[in-house]
Amino acid sequence: MRLKHIYILLLGLIVLSSYTTIQDNEITLDIKLLTTQTEFEAGSTIVLKFSTSEGIRPKLYCSSSYGSTVVTPSNEGTTLSYSIPKNISKKTGQVHWKLLNDATSLSGQFKIVPIQEVVSMETYIGPPSIEAGGTDYTMLVVIPTDSLDNALPDNTTVDAKHQFLLNETSDAILTKNSIAYKNIYSEEKSGRMLISSESKNTNSKEFTITVFPAIPTNFKISALRPHNYADGNQVTTFETSIIKDKQNNVVSDGTYVSFYITNEKSNSLKTSGTTINGVATAKMIHPDYETQWSIKAYVDGMAESDVITLDYNKVIEDFEMSFSKNNRVITVGPLQSFMKQMIPDGLLVKLLVYKDDVLLETLHKTSIDGFVNFNLNPNSIKNDIYKIVITTAGLEKTVNALQLW
Amino acid sequence: MVSRNKNIVRAILIASYLVIIALIVSGISALFGYLNTGADRSAMLHTEIKKTEQYTPKIVWTPLTNEGRPIDKNNLNALEHDYLDAWYVKHVAYKTNTTAGIKDYYTDSARLNLYDMIALNTDENITIESTTLEHHPTLEFFSEDGQLAVLTDNDVVEYKRVFQDVNMILETTEISTYKIVMLLEDGFWRIRHLVKTATEDYNVEHKTISTTNLNIQGINYYPQATPWDMFGDSFSKDTIAKDFKIIKDAGLNTVRVFVQYEDFGKANINNTKLDKLKQTLDAAETAQLDVIVTLFDFYGNYDVLDWTLNMRHAETIVSSLKNHNALVGWDIKNEPNLDFESRGKTTVMAWLNTMINLVKSIDDQHPVTIGWSNTQSATLLKDKLDFISFHYYEELDDLDAAIKTLQTEIPNKALVMGEFGESSYDGFWNPFGSSDDDQADYHKKAQAIIATNNLQYVSWTLYDFSKIPKEVVGRLPWRKNAQKQFGFIDKNGAKKASFKYISQ
Repeated sequence: MRLKHIYILLLGLIVLSSYTTIQDNEITLDIKLLTTQTEFEAGSTIVLKFSTSEGIRPKLYCSSSYGSTVVTPSNEGTTLSYSIPKNISKKTGQVHWKLLNDATSLSGQFKIVPIQEVVSMETYIGPPSIEAGGTDYTMLVVIPTDSLDNALPDNTTVDAKHQFLLNETSDAILTKNSIAYKNIYSEEKSGRMLISSESKNTNSKEFTITVFPAIPTNFKISALRPHNYADGNQVTTFETSIIKDKQNNVVSDGTYVSFYITNEKSNSLKTSGTTINGVATAKMIHPDYETQWSIKAYVDGMAESDVITLDYNKVIEDFEMSFSKNNRVITVGPLQSFMKQMIPDGLLVKLLVYKDDVLLETLHKTSIDGFVNFNLNPNSIKNDIYKIVITTAGLEKTVNALQLW
Repeated sequence: MVSRNKNIVRAILIASYLVIIALIVSGISALFGYLNTGADRSAMLHTEIKKTEQYTPKIVWTPLTNEGRPIDKNNLNALEHDYLDAWYVKHVAYKTNTTAGIKDYYTDSARLNLYDMIALNTDENITIESTTLEHHPTLEFFSEDGQLAVLTDNDVVEYKRVFQDVNMILETTEISTYKIVMLLEDGFWRIRHLVKTATEDYNVEHKTISTTNLNIQGINYYPQATPWDMFGDSFSKDTIAKDFKIIKDAGLNTVRVFVQYEDFGKANINNTKLDKLKQTLDAAETAQLDVIVTLFDFYGNYDVLDWTLNMRHAETIVSSLKNHNALVGWDIKNEPNLDFESRGKTTVMAWLNTMINLVKSIDDQHPVTIGWSNTQSATLLKDKLDFISFHYYEELDDLDAAIKTLQTEIPNKALVMGEFGESSYDGFWNPFGSSDDDQADYHKKAQAIIATNNLQYVSWTLYDFSKIPKEVVGRLPWRKNAQKQFGFIDKNGAKKASFKYISQ
């Protein structure tokens, strides 16, 4: 009786256990991942292998950095092989895969790491020109990449090298977030800085940064003239001293310098020039009357010069005038310069005609061969008595009653 | 006699001459006028900005502590804009397997990776519909010359549907982290390096909200003069307040209102409309009524690339109303199961799922439901929804059985009959339709069934309407006219026989 009970109990257990195993088989398909490697080098052949006892061939979804796709397996007996497409295996990043099967939800990940080599040094540098003086800097950004255009992992060493004048410097920097960067500061001197970088024995090409002088400092000016007479003919040349920045670098060629000239009557004249080797020159024609100029130059908004003064002396002490043809032709001259020579052509002579202190007419003429002839036209100036005034080279002569007939 | 005839002929000749001349002159002047019209001068240079928002996933920047140069707001906006566009063109590219737009947002070497993938997927006949729902970027680095930026985009929620040979083989949501190097080229921020550094499946679980206190005895509401255009120019808070008083006095406690997707401005919510919606809720609060707000009315696209726009729409409305006392719950979409046939069940269900998650992520206080159009669909998403609502326009005799079935299938959630009613139209187009008395009888019977099953209800509708937009039931006159007379109150404002049975 007791044996019978035990027998029934055992039988029951066997039936029950076999029933549960059958249940298990029905729920999960027997697909297992055989590939244990979870890290692959970029570009290597990646094949995910699964063992299967069933004849099913589920597809494999995989998703990488740039996109997703679906892989169809090839099977050899009880092994399913999924070869990951090249365009997924060559780019670094985490790859997520999933077996597309209703019964199983097998999924996993593997990682693709960059090849430990540097094939190109992707280099970005900017700004391309900086100012001397040690405060301005340019930034070098390097992305070392492998042959498949993958950025190398963080903490890859990059040597940032730069040469300036006699100094050659090399600094080891580490990549972080795919990039390595360094700020390269200017020095006291201006000039050209050459920059390159190196990682794992691969060198970048050469990059050039121009170090421009800083802003100019105050400077001096001088003047050069053939003589100091106000002949309205010769040219005075103004010249700056060598304009430099505060580190003694000669300012860049082409720095624009304006010269402001003020005469005794507080009238202003302006001339300008651009620097070559730090020196700017500018010219101005002499005045045609006795005066004093004071000159000051500016690099607008940045620097200014001292003030210099120049005196221009009278060239004509006195002049003659004669009247002919019913006093209607007035001849001024000879106009003689400082050595009694005839004044060069072009001196301005002005004739003013007054009647009862009312200005009727102004006539302008320039000298030829030291003489100027004025013709008083009978159509506009009738026969009468007039006052005439003649001015030239700062001199003035008046004829109070000139009878015309 | 002769001269008279002659005069008539003369008159006719002169008249016809005048008419012909008039016609010629008007013809020439019309031609002249036509030749003188042309492009508007202001349009000559094509300076107008045609910018439409296509892609607006949620983007939350971590506070800026980047290395390199500090970034200003303009640059950051440009960067964000182009970065999201880069995602958008990628989604479009993988959906259509074409390369349009890619070269604007990926540098020469980066775009090759996309081209390769597109070529592969074209060969395998794979298309991928995808979108991203959330981005949490951190700016790691911005170069001194402002030409290079490095981002880490954390927890990017990506939704994907993979199709092969037109069959959908996978629907998945993943959460990933990307490292991105971007370069400013030709005025575009372009992706130079893109590396996914972490990824996993994403399953968001929002807790369900208890609805044991829910006791909805309500009515679907549109003002009588402006059905389906409740928040337009003729919006009047007074009218609504009066109507709400009628509803309250009739013994009801809830109204269901509709927010139309396009009418409210799609992704960029029209604030005037939103304000009118708020005023409606204020009026309900004054009348001591609760409000069920139905979102996305008249929306029917469900396209994956439209999701981010839908989400911004819902986000604005939900976040601005979630603290309102009158709000009792959200109805995500009215009768979405009617779109299963035209848009595909998976597409619609995925959309609903996403929108439920979104609403729940913003408002964890108010229950969420979907107004299914029949009892058969009411079991869909039953675990996600906080209470179940279905519409019933079939035979009342079958209602009891249908409710019983639903109660066994969904034993633990409140059931709300979100729409039911009968038209009292028996005019020209349907001479054998129901009369006012039939309608009253219908509601009497319905209330009896509701009472025995302890069901919550929202009837259709307070008023008879005089005009029905074609979007509601189409253009067919027998449908339109029937739709006009579902009300408890007729066109003249008189209570119909059914009004007696508006509530229990």
